[in-house]
Amino acid sequence: MLTFVARRLAYTIILLAIVSLTIFFIFDLIPVDPARLVCSKQCTPSLVEANRHRLGLDVSVLEQWWRFIVGLFAGRTFGEEGIAITCAAPALGYSFSRHECVTTIVAEAFPFTLSLALGAFVLWLSVGISLGVLSARKKGKFADRAASVFVLVGTSLPTFITGILVVLFIVLQFNLVNPLELGNWHNPFTEPLGWLQTFFFPCATLALAYAATYTRFTRSNVIETSSEDFIRTARAKGLTEKVILRKHTLRAALAPIVTIAGLDFAGLLGGAIITEGIFGLNGLGRLSIKAVTQTYDLPIIVATTLIASAFVLIMNLIVDIAYAFIDPRVRTS
Amino acid sequence: MSVMKITARRLIATTSVAALAASVVLVGGMNSASAATAKPVTGGTLNYYTHAEQFPNLDPQRIYTGRDIAFLSSYLMRTLVSYKPVPGKDGATLVADMATNTGVPSNKAKTWKFTLRPGVSWEDGKPVTCADVKYGWSRTFATDVYVEGPAYPIAWLDIPKDKDGSSAYKGPYKKTGQALFDKSINCSADNRTITFNLARTVPDFNYYLTYLAGGPVPKAKDTGDKYDLRPMASGPYMIKKYAINDEMVLVRNPKWKKSSDPIRTPYPDDIVVTFGMDEDVRDQIDLEDQIPNGINMDGLQPSNNVAFFEDPTKKNRRMNNYDPYTSYLAANNSAGHLDCLDVRKAVFFAFDNQSLIDLSGGTTYYGEMGDNPVKPVIGMDYAPTKGNIHDPNFKIGGNPEYAKTLLEKAKTSCPDAYDRATNPAKGLKYYRADTATNKKAAVLVEAALKKAGFVIETVYKPSGTYNANLETYKKETDFLSSGWGADWANASTVIPELWGDGCCNYTQNQKTPEYAPFIKKVNLALVELDRKKQAKMWQELSQYGMDQYWYIRTVFGKSQQTWGSKIGGVYYWEPQGSFGFGQIYIKP
Repeated sequence: MLTFVARRLAYTIILLAIVSLTIFFIFDLIPVDPARLVCSKQCTPSLVEANRHRLGLDVSVLEQWWRFIVGLFAGRTFGEEGIAITCAAPALGYSFSRHECVTTIVAEAFPFTLSLALGAFVLWLSVGISLGVLSARKKGKFADRAASVFVLVGTSLPTFITGILVVLFIVLQFNLVNPLELGNWHNPFTEPLGWLQTFFFPCATLALAYAATYTRFTRSNVIETSSEDFIRTARAKGLTEKVILRKHTLRAALAPIVTIAGLDFAGLLGGAIITEGIFGLNGLGRLSIKAVTQTYDLPIIVATTLIASAFVLIMNLIVDIAYAFIDPRVRTS
Repeated sequence: MSVMKITARRLIATTSVAALAASVVLVGGMNSASAATAKPVTGGTLNYYTHAEQFPNLDPQRIYTGRDIAFLSSYLMRTLVSYKPVPGKDGATLVADMATNTGVPSNKAKTWKFTLRPGVSWEDGKPVTCADVKYGWSRTFATDVYVEGPAYPIAWLDIPKDKDGSSAYKGPYKKTGQALFDKSINCSADNRTITFNLARTVPDFNYYLTYLAGGPVPKAKDTGDKYDLRPMASGPYMIKKYAINDEMVLVRNPKWKKSSDPIRTPYPDDIVVTFGMDEDVRDQIDLEDQIPNGINMDGLQPSNNVAFFEDPTKKNRRMNNYDPYTSYLAANNSAGHLDCLDVRKAVFFAFDNQSLIDLSGGTTYYGEMGDNPVKPVIGMDYAPTKGNIHDPNFKIGGNPEYAKTLLEKAKTSCPDAYDRATNPAKGLKYYRADTATNKKAAVLVEAALKKAGFVIETVYKPSGTYNANLETYKKETDFLSSGWGADWANASTVIPELWGDGCCNYTQNQKTPEYAPFIKKVNLALVELDRKKQAKMWQELSQYGMDQYWYIRTVFGKSQQTWGSKIGGVYYWEPQGSFGFGQIYIKP
């Protein structure tokens, strides 16, 4: 088992290294010159070159990547001659547009993303699974039809529409949040109400689409499982429907859903770009999209992409390990 | 000087579509909110909100945009000289700020002397000294750190240049050439009088000192790259908090003394700037007046302008003015391109400018046809030109018939150019940034020119690198769109830059026989000490270029601003092309 875990861990690290290298190459290929972007109109070629040196873009892509890798373990110094800036390990780089070490920027953004992802995750799982089970149990009846409408609405309305509608016609219309405080950070442990005020609506918006999908998953899985032989046996044994549902149907029906939920959650930890943007949340998604579309801030792009990849890979690793525990055949294969 | 002045030059993206108009509105503003007549009230929290994640820069040596100069100089940082904070033409008058006067030139304006007022201090209580101003100027030379701001000091100060054209002085961090710099700026023994020694006559030198880049920085507080996050305050407010993507909070600076500041009137107790607001949310706030003590720093999205600006109940919460920018279409006059006046004129008269303006928001919100690279709001350097849009053959929707006659004339006057413009195997090339708006505009441009008999192909280039590659594109394309705003109310920051040997001459006119007399006069105008005479020279030079159809279309742009119902004292500060931030207050 230990060998299996070690092997999977090694694969994960190698994959992360490849992802980071790919990002550097992709960034090098895009038709934008970050060294010119901030240069004023009196920008001369020598000024552009000086800026390129400042940004660390005057060396080969491989060299840039290697400096990045070294910085992760040993820290990095940016700039020279009396105005150098040092970022301690793990140094993800220095953002010259934000004048801050990227590790610090990411650390500040992550609580927003975690709050959003966690809140949405809880909401969509509880709503999606409950509705799915109800829908399966009341198949063909009013509750099932109502759930179908919810599924239809949830899956057909994109987040950028529901988000705007929620903000404009609920949050602002009923003064539920001061528009200037939209997206303000509140510590969930010391200011739970403030945290709820900031995160309830974004979480609900994000959860809507997921909940709809999970309702459908759960419904079909529960219906499918209910027709299995072992359920018929349980029923024949005289178990009540509640016990059958809790002890047999749900256990079997929810196993694949939990796996998908884990991966969806991992994906969200990389940032929910649209929801974060609409609700003014300074999370990783918003950070990365601004870095890509506005400032072409390579260190931030690398860091946020790498973190998003890491979450997915780590979740995959956890799922694989869990499967290995459940099914020994996975280990040997 | 009783002229309107503009500042804040910035190359604007070439996505703008220029247009022709039947007439040019030659006024500096329209529908502009007038300064409040009610008595201003002190106190309260003034809110600003913006879609932007942060101010592009707070470091004075990095700031170049008019709105940011207006905001930061009104609240946070003082300059030696400032614009008078009043609406209308008077707003462009220079007034002494940290200095006791607007500067004393001598030696044919090669030497400029300023003396600091007593009592001017930093937020830590230390006095602002000549050494601080000198240090601030030195930072502009550290081009390996600061690349965003204006570079006039490098061009003007009497410091030798290296072979590559860069200054022999490399800034206060490397200190290479420090002695040369020290000779170019002298401080008096009492550290209050500063003398700038320039390499050439600069009659409008003191206008540059309205830029924060020409202001002081205390050496002991210089944190290099990070100074952009927390500059020292010398104005009535100081930074309590500045968090990118979140907010900036300004509170009163206890060390600021009204007795040392004849300009600023700090009414609010606190100023909060909220960053990163979704554009739809921001516009909804404005439309519903949900933050009565708030000001939208961006302007509305074009799609919401009509709802706001045509609603009479919102008339006290909006203004619509000419902004500092002129959009233009530059003709490539070099050999093998539009090197024929008749062909350039034919292009000019063929354009369907009405459709192009309508595509971009119409004359009410986008802009109106211009007749000059110099905008009327620049004041005395502007005079209506003859010809171009004032030509009786000009039609805003295009005059293909007249364009055809000009092309016919070109057949004999310059057969090669005619052939290139009309031969299906050759044709004109028009490089545009690859954006959705430009693609729509290109359809209109191509249709109008084809109607007149031209063969034209639009070549789309990646929008991300378009501006960076203009130097290359200008040699390949037959015409090129861009935009310009004067740095201050002198065409010295327009004509030499756009048509002379400045940064952004996309006409390629240097190789034409018409250029030699033109540039000779430009260089004379630059050092002309008689302002009226200089203005006349700029007007003549504008006419000269327009007669050559170096620009085959100019548009004078407009911008709109909106705010909440409890905001008072709003006016359009013409020299900065922005709010006059310093006089804004919260109504009770």
